Amino acid sequence: MDCSIFQVYEDEIQSLEEEIKLLTEKYEDSLQESTFFSDEEIVMSIKSFQGEFQQESKGCESDLKAQLASLLTDFSFLMKFSGIKFTSHLKKTVERTGNRTVKKHSLAGNCHSLSFQLEFQLLETQNKENVSAVVTDLSIIMESGEDSDMSKFVSSTEEHRDLLTFFRSLSSYGEWYEHRRRTFLHFKVMF
Amino acid sequence: GVFAHLEALEAQAYEAALKQEELQQQEEKLARLKARVRELRLQRDALRAKVDLQEKGQLGKEGAVLDKAQPSAQDGLERKIKSMKAMLQIFYLTGISGKLTKQGVCFCISTAYEGTYLDSYYLDLLIKPQVQIYRHSVPIFIPLEQIARKHLQTDIRRFVSVVSDHLNAYAGRRYQADQLQEHFSDQIEGTLQRNSLCNLLVFSYHVSSESKTLVFNVRLLYGDLCCSLPTEVIVSCTPDAPAYLAETAAAHSDLFRRVALHKAFRSISSAGEKAD
Repeated sequence: MDCSIFQVYEDEIQSLEEEIKLLTEKYEDSLQESTFFSDEEIVMSIKSFQGEFQQESKGCESDLKAQLASLLTDFSFLMKFSGIKFTSHLKKTVERTGNRTVKKHSLAGNCHSLSFQLEFQLLETQNKENVSAVVTDLSIIMESGEDSDMSKFVSSTEEHRDLLTFFRSLSSYGEWYEHRRRTFLHFKVMF
Repeated sequence: GVFAHLEALEAQAYEAALKQEELQQQEEKLARLKARVRELRLQRDALRAKVDLQEKGQLGKEGAVLDKAQPSAQDGLERKIKSMKAMLQIFYLTGISGKLTKQGVCFCISTAYEGTYLDSYYLDLLIKPQVQIYRHSVPIFIPLEQIARKHLQTDIRRFVSVVSDHLNAYAGRRYQADQLQEHFSDQIEGTLQRNSLCNLLVFSYHVSSESKTLVFNVRLLYGDLCCSLPTEVIVSCTPDAPAYLAETAAAHSDLFRRVALHKAFRSISSAGEKAD
């Protein structure tokens, strides 16, 4: 038997597997809707899931509801803890070669009175143990963009693609803002 | 004679059997490969059909074919779960993420240097009878106990924030030193000495200019543990070095104080090239 015939089939298997991966990604990307979350929606969702899966004793659907309730609870907690409320998120795969994927993210939200809109590209590389991430492009739009300190901060952050520092600073600002607001209210009540 | 003839026949039969077995194995392998190709083709065709429908707008927002049965509740749940997981990944990118546990909360502190995400660390906290650290993966040279004593009981946010500052600064210092060793090893003389906290670096480097090699010794001290730039820089030349080198040393010293280590070296290297 000619061994080259095996190679033909094996090549086709490889190319089909690759095609399937690409199609799956394309399908899943376009399914991703812009998600909008408000506090009330999250609380209501969690309550309704808790109610529902107490009634259903088993089944795949109640497992999924439990999983979603747990994820929503964590998400809600993180938003309260950081002060950063995300209102929408969209991601799209723009490039895929070997073990490297580039995804484009559009993110919007606010931290107390500061609203932001971000677009960034994230390069993810699959290593043996984990996935490494590098921001390859970052663009930030702040609502209060006229403030010169703010715009300096924003352009420096964009230049260095420093997404993490942006969020940490936003969160710190939020804390300070809250503290200031409470202090102000306190004095308002007193006088 | 006869015996040799029998042996020959036996050998022939044996070889024929082997060939037969080999042929059978190859046929089985071929059958397996064909089946796999069929299976994958079906899978691929189904996906292609879904994607085509989607592109033509015939799939509703729920992602299910509209003219068939109702989109299943299960599909909707699975998509929402995927969305939520993506949001929790976004929180990872913000530097502080985590999940609630039965006894409290387990924070995940991620670190990054200018867009490159580095290691992440976890802090598992109990909230009863009082807030305390149950487990963590913070390296021992980060003063976690000290920070906890100061903030953990009064302000958890501040506590996590300060730990994050320390970890990010450490990760940034380490990244700079690693980048230096990776990209400028030919300019470094001997070994780069550093401590675990990466806040003390001592090494020698050379700069070539006008076909001369000038050697500098540098000591970088990062006094502020929440900062990834040094607070103290000492750049010195060898005792027999010409006087004008003091100027270069002072310029380098200033550079190291203001600019990240690997970036400083990039400008030193290119300056050296220009001088030639």
